[in-house]
Amino acid sequence: MKALERYWFGDVALGRPYLLLRMVLVLLAFDTWLNMMPDGAKYGVGAFNVAHFPWFDGFVPSAGFYLGVLAFTGVLALSQALYRPHRIAIVLIAMGYTLGWSCSLLDSVPYHYLLSLYLVCFVFFPMLSARAAFSRSDRVPRGSVAAYVLFCVTTAIVYFYVAAWAAARGESYWLPMACCVGYLAVSMQDRVELPAIRLLAPMLVAAPLTFHLATPQEGWLPLYMTGIALLVFSPMHWVHAFGRALTQPARGLVDETEPAQGGLDERASQVFYLSLFGLVVAPMLSMFVDLPGVKTGCSLTAIAMLVVMGRQLYFTPRWRPLWRVASLFGGCLALLVTMSASDARFDYYRQGALDADRRGDTEAAMMFREKAERYAP
Amino acid sequence: MASLETEPPPARPNGKARRRGGAFIAAFVVLQFLIPLTYLARDDAADERFTWRRLTETDAPTCETEASLERLNGEREAVVLEKLIHQDWVAYVAQGRRAVVEAFLKQQCEADGVVSVALLNRCDDDRGVREFTLRCGGERAHETMKTAGR
Repeated sequence: MKALERYWFGDVALGRPYLLLRMVLVLLAFDTWLNMMPDGAKYGVGAFNVAHFPWFDGFVPSAGFYLGVLAFTGVLALSQALYRPHRIAIVLIAMGYTLGWSCSLLDSVPYHYLLSLYLVCFVFFPMLSARAAFSRSDRVPRGSVAAYVLFCVTTAIVYFYVAAWAAARGESYWLPMACCVGYLAVSMQDRVELPAIRLLAPMLVAAPLTFHLATPQEGWLPLYMTGIALLVFSPMHWVHAFGRALTQPARGLVDETEPAQGGLDERASQVFYLSLFGLVVAPMLSMFVDLPGVKTGCSLTAIAMLVVMGRQLYFTPRWRPLWRVASLFGGCLALLVTMSASDARFDYYRQGALDADRRGDTEAAMMFREKAERYAP
Repeated sequence: MASLETEPPPARPNGKARRRGGAFIAAFVVLQFLIPLTYLARDDAADERFTWRRLTETDAPTCETEASLERLNGEREAVVLEKLIHQDWVAYVAQGRRAVVEAFLKQQCEADGVVSVALLNRCDDDRGVREFTLRCGGERAHETMKTAGR
């Protein structure tokens, strides 16, 4: 194998892509709900919009559209993090999330573009089960995951440009450059033939941690990048032990075992009806969220889940469809709890009221203010 | 019984899969290198999207804007931007973000009897004082630098 091929297709501990995918999906779900949704009221105001890309010219996204896309993306992301992700679902999350920020310049947060790039990498990640990523023995399962290396290189390119622009402005650039070098080197640390890198790589975590904790940054970027750095730079035995502890309940899920009693047909039909019932009921939770577009977003998530399950839904005697529906339920419930327990919904209505007041739209201001008062902390 | 035993890791890619994967990786990486470089060729220096120039927070300039439009009868009329569009868009217009300025001026031209629209932006950074004017029916707004900033 040539050196370049060895770099991209060499072994990595499977626990890293497993945990990375889930961590980013969980953060992304709560990030969309807590940080992006409260800004939704500014969409569609004055029928004015400029999008990131010309193919949206003439399209003015309304608040309902924006919140619906975010609800869809968030619920689907969390449901995929809770139970074994499906590639189609990751594609839909990537499309939904990218549509969310790209439909308007109102969302010009640089790390949102970065998350879209990460989601593209995730589409090519292996969709591992907890049992595949974390063996019961102390041997760490490893395999070739080029998309994980691409994820690291993507991160390195971002740091490279942060360093380059800093250098062009005459500012200090050694810290982002150290992050760049660190991410390029660290993707090789799990290969047995490179003991020196395995020894040194974890120490390089100091660079991204210092960079993100010491420099003021927008939104949850430090949270994402700190978590990513810890998972990518930590020694593989630490990642393995952490992952094993974290996935202990998931590895014990009843999934593949044969039914104790009753035939396969009977079991398959039970699973089919229960899954369908769950798919209809789960989005109903969003009725209590009381934000425009969220009901539609959650209903689309249920349809997406139906597409993801496909034939599995009525042909399998296994419990897998039920776990998928349960994860959808978990996503919808988490959205409801997050909106009820946080100030996100209040902020949405408060900002809408302030903007309507500024524009002299008394009717809209009154509607927003009424809701803001209802959800005031 | 497929069971609680460890499942096998994903299969190692064969030659064909490696070649296809390699082509995708090369395209993705090259694109990521090229997109930030497009900043150097952009007309609008305020457009820093996809460049990673602002991954860390930097001070935003303080800018103010005034808009006016000229009617068919020659009268000039002041436009209160805050009454028409969201405050975030007003900030974009004030900073002279070209795409937003163009869209705003064109939207004002859609009203009846408007001949031209003008914007006067004042920023406390390199942008200084700039004027944008659009004669309705024209394609692009005309930009005039009145004074350089700091």
